[in-house]
Amino acid sequence: MDHLKAINQKARRIQAHVGAPVAANGGAADAPASAAASDPDALDVVGLESRQGPHIPLGCSLVFAPGWEVDSTGGTAGLCQPVERDLFDCHLACFWPAHVPDQLNHAPDWTGKCAAAQKDWRKIDLIFP
Amino acid sequence: MSPGRGRTGRGGPRASGGMRPPSPPVVPTLSALLISLAFSPTASAQQSGDDATGTGIPVADQLVIDTCVRCHAVDDDGMMTRVSYMRKTPEGWQQSIRRMVTLNEVELEPEIARDIVRYLSDHHGIAPEELRPGRFEVERRLIDWSYEASHEGDEDVDRVCSSCHSMGRVVTQRRTREEWDLLMATHRGYYPLSDTQGFRRFGPPAPDATDTRHPMDKAVAELSGKFPLTTAEWSSWSATMRPPRLAGTWALKGHDPGRGPIFGTVEIAEEAGDAVDFTTRVRYAYARTGEEVEREGRGLVYTGYQWRGRSFVGGDEDTALREVMMVERGWNEINGRWFAGAYDEFGPDVTLLRADGPVVLGLHPGAIRSGSSATVAVHGVNLPTGLGAADLDLGPGVEVVSVTRSDSEVVAARVTASDDAAPGARDVFLAGRPVPGQLTVYETVDRILVTPEAGMARLGGGAFPKGFAQFEATAFSNGPDGEPETDDDLDLGFVDVEWSMEEYSAVFDDDDIGYVGTLGADGLFDPALDGPNPDRQGLRNNVGDVWTVATWRGPDGEEVRGRAHLIVTVPLYMRWEPWRVQMVPGVPRRTSDTGSER
Repeated sequence: MDHLKAINQKARRIQAHVGAPVAANGGAADAPASAAASDPDALDVVGLESRQGPHIPLGCSLVFAPGWEVDSTGGTAGLCQPVERDLFDCHLACFWPAHVPDQLNHAPDWTGKCAAAQKDWRKIDLIFP
Repeated sequence: MSPGRGRTGRGGPRASGGMRPPSPPVVPTLSALLISLAFSPTASAQQSGDDATGTGIPVADQLVIDTCVRCHAVDDDGMMTRVSYMRKTPEGWQQSIRRMVTLNEVELEPEIARDIVRYLSDHHGIAPEELRPGRFEVERRLIDWSYEASHEGDEDVDRVCSSCHSMGRVVTQRRTREEWDLLMATHRGYYPLSDTQGFRRFGPPAPDATDTRHPMDKAVAELSGKFPLTTAEWSSWSATMRPPRLAGTWALKGHDPGRGPIFGTVEIAEEAGDAVDFTTRVRYAYARTGEEVEREGRGLVYTGYQWRGRSFVGGDEDTALREVMMVERGWNEINGRWFAGAYDEFGPDVTLLRADGPVVLGLHPGAIRSGSSATVAVHGVNLPTGLGAADLDLGPGVEVVSVTRSDSEVVAARVTASDDAAPGARDVFLAGRPVPGQLTVYETVDRILVTPEAGMARLGGGAFPKGFAQFEATAFSNGPDGEPETDDDLDLGFVDVEWSMEEYSAVFDDDDIGYVGTLGADGLFDPALDGPNPDRQGLRNNVGDVWTVATWRGPDGEEVRGRAHLIVTVPLYMRWEPWRVQMVPGVPRRTSDTGSER
């Protein structure tokens, strides 16, 4: 975080949350946080592709990593949310064939009663293939 | 009904060169055509039964032949394409037959489907030793299990399969190499995107790569080597396999997560019905509360050892427990799991022991604090009655003050552990007989373990059923070395605790705890409603991560806490469990019933 300056309220809250001192003028103090001082990379900003292992940004899960139920960290914070937003994409292209019925074979009419899953989610059928 | 019996002539392999089935006119459906296109075009020719990948298993049952021959040709040796080259659990065969019905327009009466499942499970099944590593799959256990590849560097073999489904499905099957190849082709035909989702590597191999195969090719090599059709286990088991004789009285012991140990009896009677081998009368009590349960059920045994049953309280379908157990060799023990719930999340682990004579099952509670008194009960079946304090030996430092109950099922005694009793577990004897389990003397409760340590619940109650999560707490004492989580720790067993939840901070301003659901006083997590939540930022579902916290309070006011991670996540929109009947009002029932136990 030592390369960034907090310029609004939310950024300052984030900075406070990760332990970096906040200067009186609202920007980051010159002195880095103690953790960052001992390990310059510990709290630094990194590119997604430079992380170890898979990383799925919030919003989509087009690949089977790490799973339908959890995100790449083993939690739920990075799941496609709400799931209904992405559900029909899974159905049309069978992104999640063991969890969502696919249009190709198992349930070609799955979306028939439900034009927009986010609104009509109660009409989505449970499928027994 | 059992192997070798029944109206469909299950009598072992048909002599080679037997009658060829008639060839009805075949009208290929679109999906059948797709499958045949996806498969190797030479599938029939290659599966000749004597190829290098192994000999097949002839199909001898005329009902199976008549039903399946429309798509699966049978040769002069009785080898049926696909079917002769794989072995599976009853659930595996159920799933296959259901797929034929739903995707390939096969029309089957439920009775015929059941007979086919029975025949194939008995004659194309898997041996006990083969099932054991993957029995969590059929027992529907939510466990953390890792597949170990045979060769270093083949870790992506696991990912090819478990990216979409449990490896349990895989390790409970046996196939020829060619069949594993065809299975891969089936997947690619049904799910074309699987090629880019794990079956094939992205782009060309690395310049320095020594193994340039695609993951799916590695998987076929691995699986065909590790799970071949022909095995010593199966040839041994199929030689000795027969209908087990299970009639009689069985002693029952088990553990119901969240509710503690159970003890009781199971009366098994043989039946001559077409879809039932046995009927059962079950009676058990919870050791902690004394609550008594009586159930009646029915079941059958596949492959000579795989019990599949269902039992009810007073015939009420809402109380049904599905029974999946293994009959051990010797027919003196049956063990497995009885379960219920939309995601099979409830129900006890059970062990049945044949009770021709006295059977001592265990004791409860299994721990006593030094310098304190408690009532300890030994549970069993056909126990000698009228026992006294001298008949119960609880070990050094633990005195039996008086026996308060002694009948054929329970011997309860008031006992005192002396102040200077050495911490540790004692073997227990009742009238000279060893009692399974031990009585542990401890000084302090130092640690609370909450299980499952990583639990999962699924949102529901709107369009989809809820997936609950049951937690329970186990106490530990650090033991003589005073260090936690070392070999000398003393397991003090199930303890009553106070349950609460805490936020699991995964993101900034995490507020999952306000949405995910509620944790009851009995450790049962009840998830919130499925569907987008308009009160939540971004219309998020009520998903989230929380800690479930157990707080134990001792007699002197001391507190010990333990916690487990709970994931509350989205529902499943498709269910592969072929035995499951509809459980959500307002949702269509499945069209074909190929249930294995009725």
